Amino acid sequence: MFSRAYKLAVTVPPLAWVALFLLTPYLLMFCYSFWSISPAQTIVHSWNVQNYRELVTVSVYWQTLLRSMWIAARVTLFSLLLGYPLAYFLSFYGGSRKDLLYQLVIIPLWVSYLVRAYAWKTILGSDGVLNTLLQYVHLAKHPLEFLLYSPFAVVLTLTHIYTPFTFLPIYASLEHIPRNLVEASHDLGATPAQTFWKVIFPLSIPGVLAGATFAFVLSLGDFLAPLLLGGPSGIMISNVVVSLFGAAYNWPLGAAISFCMLVLVVALLFVSERLEKKWSFS
Amino acid sequence: MNWRRKGQLGAIIAVVLFTASCAKKTPTLNLLVWEGYADPSYVKAFEDAHHCKVSASYMGSSDELMAKLRGGSAGNYDVISPSSDVATSVANAALAAPLDLAKFPAYKQLSAQLTALPLVRVNGQVFGVPFMWGPDPLIYDTAAFSNPPDSWNVLWDPKYKGKISVWDDLSTVYMAAQVLGFDKPDPAQLYNLTDEQLDAVKKKLLELKPNIRKMWSTGGELTNLFQNHEVIAAMGWPLMTNQLRKINFPVGETIPKENTTGWIDHLMITAASDNKELAAEFLEYMIEAKTQKQVTDVTGYTPANPQAAQFMTPDQVRNLHLDDVDAYQKHIYFWQNVPRRAKYNEIWNEVKAAQ
Repeated sequence: MFSRAYKLAVTVPPLAWVALFLLTPYLLMFCYSFWSISPAQTIVHSWNVQNYRELVTVSVYWQTLLRSMWIAARVTLFSLLLGYPLAYFLSFYGGSRKDLLYQLVIIPLWVSYLVRAYAWKTILGSDGVLNTLLQYVHLAKHPLEFLLYSPFAVVLTLTHIYTPFTFLPIYASLEHIPRNLVEASHDLGATPAQTFWKVIFPLSIPGVLAGATFAFVLSLGDFLAPLLLGGPSGIMISNVVVSLFGAAYNWPLGAAISFCMLVLVVALLFVSERLEKKWSFS
Repeated sequence: MNWRRKGQLGAIIAVVLFTASCAKKTPTLNLLVWEGYADPSYVKAFEDAHHCKVSASYMGSSDELMAKLRGGSAGNYDVISPSSDVATSVANAALAAPLDLAKFPAYKQLSAQLTALPLVRVNGQVFGVPFMWGPDPLIYDTAAFSNPPDSWNVLWDPKYKGKISVWDDLSTVYMAAQVLGFDKPDPAQLYNLTDEQLDAVKKKLLELKPNIRKMWSTGGELTNLFQNHEVIAAMGWPLMTNQLRKINFPVGETIPKENTTGWIDHLMITAASDNKELAAEFLEYMIEAKTQKQVTDVTGYTPANPQAAQFMTPDQVRNLHLDDVDAYQKHIYFWQNVPRRAKYNEIWNEVKAAQ
């Protein structure tokens, strides 16, 4: 159907792009992860698995990774709990204001991440909006300290930031459900709850999976929220990587952690895609 | 391609080249320095006099500076301000350019105690000029203390759970080592701790964690933490005290009885700089007595050029201890090169990552 030249012209540029800007850097990082650092702080190009051994033996690294996954899991759960009802409402009850409401959900994505993170700082701080209000109405005697510089602040901010990412795929999958299926369910005497759980929800699972993957993967690799709002015990694995590549100048160990994260994320994407295929109805 | 098309293309190229060359006419001096070292109050005059633009990036810690220089971005900066802990490494690693002292008339005015130090001398060449020095004092909110604190131990006081801040830097490691008394009898031991001592320091810092609200990594961040009443005591720089005083925040600053560490910042020209001439003029300008006084006004640091005192009020001279420099310096152990910096960083990272 298409000429050979045309096929080449459309496939080569994206392949070259991926090879140059994605695969090469990853390959370099992979090489770095097998090198080491000399006492004089220069990178020695001698191949060994010392960095990976360190990841397993030094407990802070895998503990921080587990903690990051725990934070990401909570963010995913809360984003779904917020994103699903929102998408459901918009898709089934949005009516003529659907487009406007849709835009309202998207608008936060136009605002810089940093601005949103700093906004939470002014809301949650000891002198912040929330604490001032709580003290004004005498619900709290002293400023609640756990609100800011805590894992709570990190989960809250990340949930706020990644909810639109879960909303979008769920909304898309709900929009694709043929409405006559819902009507048929009602006609056959199913209650609204039965219709939801037996018809709508199973059909929206691919969207839920896609949204959950977005939220989990993006928040797992986040380092700004823990840096700005996390406090002394809220740091995540990416902060460790940043500090290894930055202050500590231990690129090899940083690369080893990054590579483990990469494998983890790719595995997750693979699993979620398989599941999405299994649940898709078309 | 016909001639007309070629002509159009040529015109476009000419315009692009012309604008590019115009943009090059105002040279830009890029600084990677500590906060407060590029304040418009004195940089503006230099820009006007030399028809150039000074653009500054701030460094959050000595290690960040080293990582940026080693990581290949040395060419992005013309002037850097390494402190006494890494100045020797910068000079040794050939990251800075040697200076021709004849070009710096003000160099002779600098405090001989500072210029005599071997910090920035490698193979008989000088790689930097001492610029400012000062301590890492204990800064506190005077409204929160009925008696002014006089010991670093106040940071560990369970009363102040979640109310203190420390610098995300090895200085905090040195401070904990001082509290444990590892600086006695030889203060240089702080920069050469043994493995056992580092383990003890780590334990001590882990005990401090419940009290830490947030580790600060830029000067502005700590000022904000005080201003928003997130913390009441911290290890900081005189810069923050100065900033807080300017906004009438009730702030106190002290050198605790365990003494403290301090730094001597040097200005250097990077080896990769394309603007070495202009950079040299900038260095000379920055160590002139008049500029040094202006830098002191902004930062609260002590000038390396004692002649700056002639422009100061007697109060300022007393606050900066310029009238009794020797006695004052007895309480400050200046940062030195840390041979096992990687090990120190490892300990510090483990403290930060611990739950």
